[in-house]
Amino acid sequence: MKTKSDFPSLNERKPGGQRVDGQAYRVLVVDDSMFVTKQMGQILTSEGFEVVATAGDGIEGLEKYKELFPNVDIVTMDITMPRMDGITALEKIIEFDKNAKVIMVSALGKQDLVKRSLLAGAKNYIVKPLDRKKVLERIVMSIDK
Amino acid sequence: MRVEYINPFVEASYNILKEVLSSEVVRGELYLKSSSTPVLGVAALVGLAGDVEGRVLFDMTKATAIGIASIMNGEKLNAMDELAKATIQELANMITAQAVTKLHDLGFKFDLTPPALFTGENMEVSSSQVEALIVPMKLSCGKIEINVAIRERS
Repeated sequence: MKTKSDFPSLNERKPGGQRVDGQAYRVLVVDDSMFVTKQMGQILTSEGFEVVATAGDGIEGLEKYKELFPNVDIVTMDITMPRMDGITALEKIIEFDKNAKVIMVSALGKQDLVKRSLLAGAKNYIVKPLDRKKVLERIVMSIDK
Repeated sequence: MRVEYINPFVEASYNILKEVLSSEVVRGELYLKSSSTPVLGVAALVGLAGDVEGRVLFDMTKATAIGIASIMNGEKLNAMDELAKATIQELANMITAQAVTKLHDLGFKFDLTPPALFTGENMEVSSSQVEALIVPMKLSCGKIEINVAIRERS
């Protein structure tokens, strides 16, 4: 008789949102749209990430990053936001923590801004509408960088 | 108004709606309005300014807006609440961003305003200097009219 151990478990794959020790990666989501924040949160938590905070503009995002540091691993950053845009917030976060892992989120058509962000130290970018697979792929890639 | 301005909006609406609603979208017959147009109940408006100027209106009934927002959020919403409004604004954002990328590729340079959302009964929109081209998009939960009024800056 075959025992359970003869079969590989299908559930062995570790969720992308967790470290080897099972601890969840902590994410700060910065976006002025409640819809995007919620959708991003759902995608991330479904893969084992923990959304530690959300912010509605660049100023709030920067403040929350400083407040949470070093207990935050990843930031997703919208580009077009009121008060302070995502690129300025990215620059200020990198100034504060040069190892910050910031991933830009933008609608199509902002290639120039995306390029600027990558030059300013963003690890990757995601184009809206958010696709679960692409979002997770880009974020997991940034963790490994 | 030149038809080449509206095509990118129609294409982008079709692509994005199909993607976010995960269902078929049927393009209706395009028509022209030179006077004022009634607004169905929920309208997201994006302004354009640059080589071309004008506005794009995404017009739908409240029931359709709530239906779309429910599908996009993966949960049943019952009213035009903050989340539903943010969802429709984001939808307008995504469609315009894709359309504008196309227009920029064609050589038109202009900026966009963030989408403004209007909700209410018995509203109408007038564009006195430029006629509006309207394309209805039929969805599983109603229809959206893409109402584009754009002209070249004189």
